[in-house]
Amino acid sequence: MLAVATPAIAAPDMNKVVREVFPAAETGFDPAAVHDLYSGTLIQGIFETLYTYDYLARPSKVVPLAADGMPQITDNGRTWTVKLKKGIRFADDPVFGGKPRELTADDYVYSIKRLIDPRIRSPWAFLVEGKFVGLDEVAEQARKSGRFDYDRKVPGIEAVDRHTIRFRLKETDYNLPYILAHEPTSAVAREVIEKYGESDGRALANPVGTGPYRLAKWVRSSKILLEANPHYRGFTWNFASSDPADAALVREMKGKAMPQVGRVEISIIEEDQARLLAFQGDEVDLMNMEGPLAPKVLDGGTLKPEMKAKGVKLSRIVDPELSYTYWNMTDPVVGGLAKEKVALRRAMAMSYNVADEIRVIRNGQAIEARYPIPPGVVGHDPGWKGGIAYDPAGANALLDRFGYKRGADGWRTLPDGKPLVVRLSSRPDTLGRQQDELWKKSLDAIGVRMDVHKDKFPELIKAEKQCKLQMRVASWIADYPDGDNFMQLLYGPNTNQSNNACARIPEFDKLYARTQKMPPGPERDKLYQEMTRVIEAYAPWRLMISRYRNMLVQPRVLGYKRHPILHAHWQYLDVAPQGPNK
Amino acid sequence: MTAYIIRRLWQMLPTMLGVVLLVFFLFNWVGGDPAYVLAGKISNQEQIDNIRRQLGVDQPYWVQLWIFVKQIVTGDFGASWSTNERISSIIFTRLPPSLTVLIPLTVLDALIAIGLALAVAYVRGSLTDRAVMIVCTVGLSISILVYIIVFQYVFAYKLGWFPVQGWGDSFWENLFRYASLPILIGLAVGIAPSLRLYRTFVLDEINQDYVRTARAKGLSENRTMWVHVLRNASIPIITNIMASLPGLLIGAFLIERFFSIPGIGREVILAVERSDFPVIKAITVYVAAATMVFNLLADLMYKAVDPRVQLK
Repeated sequence: MLAVATPAIAAPDMNKVVREVFPAAETGFDPAAVHDLYSGTLIQGIFETLYTYDYLARPSKVVPLAADGMPQITDNGRTWTVKLKKGIRFADDPVFGGKPRELTADDYVYSIKRLIDPRIRSPWAFLVEGKFVGLDEVAEQARKSGRFDYDRKVPGIEAVDRHTIRFRLKETDYNLPYILAHEPTSAVAREVIEKYGESDGRALANPVGTGPYRLAKWVRSSKILLEANPHYRGFTWNFASSDPADAALVREMKGKAMPQVGRVEISIIEEDQARLLAFQGDEVDLMNMEGPLAPKVLDGGTLKPEMKAKGVKLSRIVDPELSYTYWNMTDPVVGGLAKEKVALRRAMAMSYNVADEIRVIRNGQAIEARYPIPPGVVGHDPGWKGGIAYDPAGANALLDRFGYKRGADGWRTLPDGKPLVVRLSSRPDTLGRQQDELWKKSLDAIGVRMDVHKDKFPELIKAEKQCKLQMRVASWIADYPDGDNFMQLLYGPNTNQSNNACARIPEFDKLYARTQKMPPGPERDKLYQEMTRVIEAYAPWRLMISRYRNMLVQPRVLGYKRHPILHAHWQYLDVAPQGPNK
Repeated sequence: MTAYIIRRLWQMLPTMLGVVLLVFFLFNWVGGDPAYVLAGKISNQEQIDNIRRQLGVDQPYWVQLWIFVKQIVTGDFGASWSTNERISSIIFTRLPPSLTVLIPLTVLDALIAIGLALAVAYVRGSLTDRAVMIVCTVGLSISILVYIIVFQYVFAYKLGWFPVQGWGDSFWENLFRYASLPILIGLAVGIAPSLRLYRTFVLDEINQDYVRTARAKGLSENRTMWVHVLRNASIPIITNIMASLPGLLIGAFLIERFFSIPGIGREVILAVERSDFPVIKAITVYVAAATMVFNLLADLMYKAVDPRVQLK
């Protein structure tokens, strides 16, 4: 069900305040320039994309936001025409000279072009690179001249008229709506960026958007106060859920003019204990319960009785993320497609007990990942029966069969008799150490000697992109809730970018190329299943876990349900009239 | 005196050069390449090279070092790589919250520790002296982390005497509402070592002949202790206090993080986490300079409290 846009239904109540806590600091408010979760959350509250996600629909469903309806698709999925709602206004700012500033198609054209402007060095360039007809050429020109020509017409991103945008793609790509729902493509006004931008073209402060909130106060890395944008058009809370557990939530919110919440106060509290005490002391209303804190508040998947007695609510989802260990497929010891190499990787994967990781490392706040597309993401197969199971006896038998003999010291050697030593790379932090220990224990059990290589995160990423690591635990959280965002992680041409296993598996690559031209649906899902079998057969990865996200919500906050992709939810909430949490 | 000051300032240059070289090479050696983090989740070599070019980390080391030296001379360290915020703005906005906690803490710590040191030294060997020393030893053995966790839980959460965390807009609100518990924790942590140290300094003096003479002349115990003993014990005390003052500029990392105080210590941790070299190097240089200046001030104060001290 869509949120119905209505003209200025009712002003938000400035006495209704929601207080949220972030565990890490924001970096800024430029949609093209920032890439941390918390800045992205704030951007979702201040700016608007063409599309967004239905608040309650699961799996996530794209719905219009600034767009007036879903896109018109022609030319076999290569031309997309998007109409813009009329009369959307940016929040007031001196740069507009006191005049109302309407959101137009040109704003989106400008904002999307910014993603590939080399001067801005956007971490989101990959969203648009190689996609739109003529855009890469302008970027190339900018690299040579040092200046991106925003006035140059790009056939692939065109403002047809004041309220119509036409996208022309180089190849069929049904993921475009997801990209247009992703906050880096939010609309910024060119005059705002030109006024407040730094010499590198980034405007990390002074955000001016069309979204439900505007920045009222900012104490960097400490406190952020958002206030309702008086020019926001509002909508009626009219969402439907297929989950019976949402019935009460729908009842208490249905038909309300939104947004109800006038002010949003965000505190940055890095330390776990301080965050939890602040929540328990009623200093914050919404808090994400990180794994280490979970045992203090949760009994498995439910709140402890003392929390329930206070009326605290828990909104719990499996994050659209995947944690996995990869083996470098170009490595002479663990890589390659030869049978004995596949056997070695499979045996190592079979030696790893994911249940131990969930229990010991994750405090029970994770599920085992059996499919390379996690729950909540389009293309996930909840009934998948495959996967590599924990089976150390089977792993030993496999190694014996392929000639990895045990020496006198108990450690196995390579089939050619040379010593077998694998090297796990990890960060020098608590999680890294715990994962090292679990992998060491696992590989010890099958006689494979393991060394640990510790390095700083940037150096690990650097070595990974150069295919110089042998194995590492990696994780990926969805940029958009489509299986493609996960399956691309093993696509051969993405080596040196996101394909950290440096895998080039011809069967997989052929299947992936076919899926790229398909819309989501059973036909594509079938190919994803085939690709999953290829992953299981060649074992470039050991799938591990997807974590739970546990949001604690004070009783006075109404209408909260954690969305897997949307992070800014304040415009969908209300606050009980009695105020205090009693 | 002026010649002495000029000579000391001149001697700071090679020390500062050493600091600059150390910071520069340490960061380049252990800091990691920030471009790989700033490039985001999916990036190609061309984008990474572009970032390195913009940050200037693709330049030869000697060029980067020369830029660093110029930044120190001009006092303009540019902007944060992560947030684009000017370094000068970072320092000027983060320093006041840190000082709101640390100045009262330093003053109170010194006054209480000196007062208690004189008192327990005066009753040296008594049950009170031994009890205080045992408490100090126990206090010294406990990590600051334990103090923070326990005090925050008991005094802020359970008893509700203080807010669990936060920071406001008004100086007085910050000082009396938000900084009170952090100051209390700082005192609990800091008084024990200071008290033990100052007691030793006082004991060194209390057995001197001039104390016996003062008593023989009929001076009151208060005057003997607070004027004569304290004045002679003050040189090592001044050394200790002045050595702690540069710490004001880097804040109290843990306290600021646990109590969400937007101070400079929290910013330093954030900068390290983000490999934000401009922030790290600016703060390191300022702290090094402050350390040298406070050392000079300490030497000048020796002369002020004890005219027998010769500045050479």
